[in-house]
Amino acid sequence: MIVPLSHLLIVAGIMFIMGLACTLARRNLIMILIGVEVMINAVGLTLVGGSAFWQQIDGQLVVVLLMALTSAEVSISLAMVVYLQRRKGTIEADRYSEMKG
Amino acid sequence: MNANLLFLILLLPLFGGALNAMAGSYLPRRLRGTLAVVAVAAAFVCTLLLWPLSAAEGTRITLFTWLQSGPLEIGFSILYDALSASMALMVTGVSTLIHLYAVGYMDQEEDTARFFALLNLFVFAMLTIVLADNLLLLFLGWEGVGFCSYGLIGFWYSKLENAQAGRKAFLVTRIGDVFLGIALLWLFSLLGTLGIPEVNAQAGQIASGTVTILVLLLLGGACGKSAQLPLMTWLPDAMAGPTPVSALIHAATMVTAGVYLLCRLFPLVSLSPAAMLVITLIGAATAFYAATCALAQTEIKRVLAYSTMSQIGYMFMAVGAGTVSGAMFHLYTHAFFKALLFMGAGCVIHLCAEENDIHKMGGMAGKSPFVFVMFLAGALCLAGLPWSGGFFSKDGILLAVFAQPGGWYRLAWLIGLLTAFLTSLYTFRLLFLVFAGTPRIEQHPHPLPGLMRWTLPPLALLGLAGGLINLPEAYGGAEALRQQLGSLAGTLTPVAHQTEYVLATIASAMFLLGALGAFGRYSSYPGRQQSLSRDFLRQGWQADSLVARVILRPFDSLTDFSWKGIDLSLIEGLLQTAAEGCLKNGERISRLATGRVSTYLAGFGWGLLLLLGWFLLSLAGHSS
Repeated sequence: MIVPLSHLLIVAGIMFIMGLACTLARRNLIMILIGVEVMINAVGLTLVGGSAFWQQIDGQLVVVLLMALTSAEVSISLAMVVYLQRRKGTIEADRYSEMKG
Repeated sequence: MNANLLFLILLLPLFGGALNAMAGSYLPRRLRGTLAVVAVAAAFVCTLLLWPLSAAEGTRITLFTWLQSGPLEIGFSILYDALSASMALMVTGVSTLIHLYAVGYMDQEEDTARFFALLNLFVFAMLTIVLADNLLLLFLGWEGVGFCSYGLIGFWYSKLENAQAGRKAFLVTRIGDVFLGIALLWLFSLLGTLGIPEVNAQAGQIASGTVTILVLLLLGGACGKSAQLPLMTWLPDAMAGPTPVSALIHAATMVTAGVYLLCRLFPLVSLSPAAMLVITLIGAATAFYAATCALAQTEIKRVLAYSTMSQIGYMFMAVGAGTVSGAMFHLYTHAFFKALLFMGAGCVIHLCAEENDIHKMGGMAGKSPFVFVMFLAGALCLAGLPWSGGFFSKDGILLAVFAQPGGWYRLAWLIGLLTAFLTSLYTFRLLFLVFAGTPRIEQHPHPLPGLMRWTLPPLALLGLAGGLINLPEAYGGAEALRQQLGSLAGTLTPVAHQTEYVLATIASAMFLLGALGAFGRYSSYPGRQQSLSRDFLRQGWQADSLVARVILRPFDSLTDFSWKGIDLSLIEGLLQTAAEGCLKNGERISRLATGRVSTYLAGFGWGLLLLLGWFLLSLAGHSS
């Protein structure tokens, strides 16, 4: 391995924190989704790193699975964003509070 | 002779009652009464024809097995021996006459189907008690009698006090029934059988202390049914029912069930001298108590009710003194003359336009000499006119009590003698107030139906000549009833004829004293007097208010406390608080669910922080 695992974990951690910050701070649905994507990719990076470090194929397999799932997730969520935009004319997440208890 | 025919005695009244209960309202009025009378009369004829079956040890026969469970096997079976046969004969005979009388008495009544159905069922239940071969079947009849008397006392239930009188009778006798039920269960657990002959035969195996308690429990049951102290308050109120009911239930049959129970189980009862003494003393106390109460009553039927109680006290004394034949003898003569008195009282009430108050009567002798003669016959038997049926039977009891050793028995004898005097006094008071002088109020008499008239003479004859049933040897008799009962007659202590004559003379003197006392006081109408002691006696020594104060009111406050203190405050309060707490919590938690995605995401964030913190802490714990 060219890069030490610790560096990789630090980069992944930073990516995850940034994604989380984006998800928490933004109210725009698309930005929240982007934040979620960043977080997923941070996890994927960790998995690949771990797989390379321990010379185990499992991690890479999970990442492939993760990519497939992510693409499905993105397509559904973007479709919903379009739908919501049509329905209410906004994609501000806080405007959708019908599920209030 | 086919012993299976014995079941006809039981089933005929049941059939008559069932038919009247189910289809009576569709039958013509005349047919309802006829059906009831025919059913009971047929039962009487059956009892008479099957009399030979009661000879020697009697006949035991089972119709079918009623209950079977492990060692318990209860058959629907009849024990037809000298005791039950003679009792059944009396019950069916007197009931037939009373049914006939009731047909006349209830002539103007609407709902006669219910009346005759209950009357017939009552006779069925009573005969079940009398003929039962085992104690559980006896208990069935016992409860049936209680139910029918409840229905009959409250027959005119549209008046609240009648309904309450019925309920009172039901509830008070129920207290006694609980004791009887306990006694039955105990007997079964001790002996493994409930058959009456078996129980009597094996009673000797039971420890003597247990026998005493058992007999006292049986006595409790008998006291409830027979209106003895302290369960006597229901009988005077039971006069709310129609007069034939009073004659049937509260004179001739039901109230004697307690005496019959003790006689039936006499071999068991006689094993405990202590319990026998208690029976005697309760009988004596009740006899005296009821006689004093009868002195001050103003309603004709209540006088008779208290005198019934008093006479049954005598029967208890007889059982306690060990003479079953004496108790049964008095039971029979009493049934005859008391039924006669009640039926005569019904005629009097009829003639006075449904007036019950003896202070408003008077002069009845002139108005209806026939009723007067009949009532006089009954009254003389009750008071103990020498050589009438009541004289011999009462005398026999006093003699048996006198013959028992011990101071307590002597005391009971003295009380019995005093009660004999009081009996004569209140009987003649009643006679003078009702029949002597001139009518004190304007009366519009109802006509007296022939059925109400002509049922009286047979009873008068039976009452006056009742002594022949068991005429003592001292008077040249052969003690027929005692011979008939044979081994069931109890343990009699022989007494010298000399003593017997002396005691009879004393009893006659008591009769004369009472009659003279009543003559001196009531031969001319003294007017209605009010005094505290009179009121005290009239209300039965305030027994009702005593019961109210000692039992009902504490019970009321206990239930009140259970309701308001425990149920409303404690239990419902706790539940209310818990429910309100849950509701408030739910509201508080539901405020967290804002419906906004950002809130939930923030929740994720905090959760992640918490997890990471936890990992860090445990890492620190590992490394150190």
